[in-house]
Amino acid sequence: MHRLFWKIFLSFWAALILFAGATMLTASHYLEQARQEERVVSPRERLLAQAAEAQQIVDREGIEGLKAWLRMIDRRELIALLVVDADGNELLGRPVPPTFGERPGHGPRGMPRMGRWQQTIRLPDASEYRLVPDFQGVTLRRVLARPRVMALPLVIAALVSGLVCFLLARYLTAPLERLRRATDAYANGDLALRVAPALGSRRDEIADLAHSFDRMAQRLQELMDAQRQLLRDVSHELRSPLARLTVALGLARQRAGDATATELDRIEREAERLNELIGQLLSLARLESGIAATAGAPVDLAPLLAGVANDADFEARAVNRRVELAASGPAVIAGDIRLLHSAFENIVRNAVRYTADGSAVEVALAPDPGRAGWRVTIRDHGPGVPEPMLARLFEPFVRVDEARDRARGGYGLGLAIAERAIRAHGGAVWASNAAGGGLCVEVRLPGEKEAVGN
Amino acid sequence: MNRILLADDDAELTNMLGEYLGGEGLAVDTAHDGEAALAKARSGAFDLMVLDVMMPKKNGFDVLRELRAHSLLPVLMLTARDEDVDSIIGLELGADDYLPKPCNPRVLVARIRAILRRAATPAADVDGSAVLVLADLELHAGTRQVHRAGQPVVLTSTEYSVLEALLRAAGHVVSKAELSERALGRKLTRYDRSLDMHVSSLRRKLGALPGGGERIQTVRGVGYQYVRA
Repeated sequence: MHRLFWKIFLSFWAALILFAGATMLTASHYLEQARQEERVVSPRERLLAQAAEAQQIVDREGIEGLKAWLRMIDRRELIALLVVDADGNELLGRPVPPTFGERPGHGPRGMPRMGRWQQTIRLPDASEYRLVPDFQGVTLRRVLARPRVMALPLVIAALVSGLVCFLLARYLTAPLERLRRATDAYANGDLALRVAPALGSRRDEIADLAHSFDRMAQRLQELMDAQRQLLRDVSHELRSPLARLTVALGLARQRAGDATATELDRIEREAERLNELIGQLLSLARLESGIAATAGAPVDLAPLLAGVANDADFEARAVNRRVELAASGPAVIAGDIRLLHSAFENIVRNAVRYTADGSAVEVALAPDPGRAGWRVTIRDHGPGVPEPMLARLFEPFVRVDEARDRARGGYGLGLAIAERAIRAHGGAVWASNAAGGGLCVEVRLPGEKEAVGN
Repeated sequence: MNRILLADDDAELTNMLGEYLGGEGLAVDTAHDGEAALAKARSGAFDLMVLDVMMPKKNGFDVLRELRAHSLLPVLMLTARDEDVDSIIGLELGADDYLPKPCNPRVLVARIRAILRRAATPAADVDGSAVLVLADLELHAGTRQVHRAGQPVVLTSTEYSVLEALLRAAGHVVSKAELSERALGRKLTRYDRSLDMHVSSLRRKLGALPGGGERIQTVRGVGYQYVRA
């Protein structure tokens, strides 16, 4: 059930126990070694040597010299040397175990007697100090406080537990990384990737997640195939009657002569519009579902925009408007030339529709200063769009002004298609009201290297 | 009178279209599935077939593929409007031209006439010399036949027209717009890949020049040039 839970729980627990165990083990091992060393040299001889050294230092440097020497010994040695005066006070002020005050052979309650280790140090003023090794003072704290003693075991323990944690972390995140890559692939429209087989015989929450993931991808793929099929069917079913309508219209023309030419022209125009609308709806559905994968062929935006601007200018001049293009040099991106063409055509046509009589739509192509890509701005000199509507401009069938928009033609799909097409190329598009009036649509497209190479 | 075979599963549409084409002076027969279309097309009783892609039993591509194995009957494909791939596949399989559906019947008639004109073989149609010879290639304008190194090369009427237009201007670049009007009988539209497809099958059928070079060069952004060796 909660296999991953137990894996994490037990691994951390084990790592901590291992660390603590390793620390204590090495510490006790060290202590053992230290004791053995003393046995080899004979601790008593060593103590005698230390006492002799202490006596020498006192003779030479007085009580202050002895204190310095003691501090040095305390830092270096695991077993502290206490120097106790006649009143039972330690020279450095360290606590003295109660048994120390006794004479040899008088230890109460069977406590180990320090007496036989005791050495006497005489000061020039004839006062006496007793020098005693403090075996009981060797606590774990004292061990841990001596880095020279603890460095190696600590490093080993850290390495071991580090390795355990590293393996655990990798064990946990490696499949997540695989999942992430799969998600990226799905986002790019490649639903063929499956995660679970790569995890082998793994059985835990992550493996379950991978299986769910694969089921999701499978389902998505089925849905997308179904939608593709639906698009084909709808296209066929809607267009079959339309095809008959156009032929019937042709027959009517053949027979009627000129008498009804105006009406037949009108019917033909409307049929053509209907056909165009179906086409737009289909391409929008296709773009939204990610079916229209962008073919990653190099496309130069400069001639593409020149073509769009030229055509639009030709049409705009018929209604006393202009389209002006400012572009310099080639601007190559990877993409689908038809899709990009229709995107820019839709945006520019929309601008021509709203720009004021006698004004020009300004189209500009420039390198994107921030990133290695291109920026295209299409600016008209029309009434602009109310601020709250700006964000919704690229939704399908959104009209800024119901009556006016209908009068100017268009189906409210052009900008939606353009936005999806730009997004399919890894770009972005947004609209703002230009200073001095008019709408400014800005398109950013990543350069050839950056574009999604799918 | 030219005889046209209409292959489309929409019976109402083919009936009306038959009537319309009849009014334009064309004789029409219809087929409503792929197998019937293939059988009628093979009978040799027709000058041109209008072939829809979506048909029961055998789709338009399969019909065309099987037909092209042993027939040069001119074929005009009707493709779904939003499937660019369809038109490319159709042209690759040897269709003479394509038209997206639904199509204006006037445009359909114009396309049919353009193809028929290309396929016609009257000696009077010859402009300039009747036989064009260039290196190993021999083009007989009268019979619309092409020989390479003495061997006949089987070309569809559209491929022949493209080749003839290129050969007559051999050594010079023919723009795509010009080639479209002269060989396909229509204006070049944006992103139309028909010419590219016809040229690519011409290259395949003709092979390389005797010297090993490319016969038809693509001049990027301009057009095509038949290389004068």
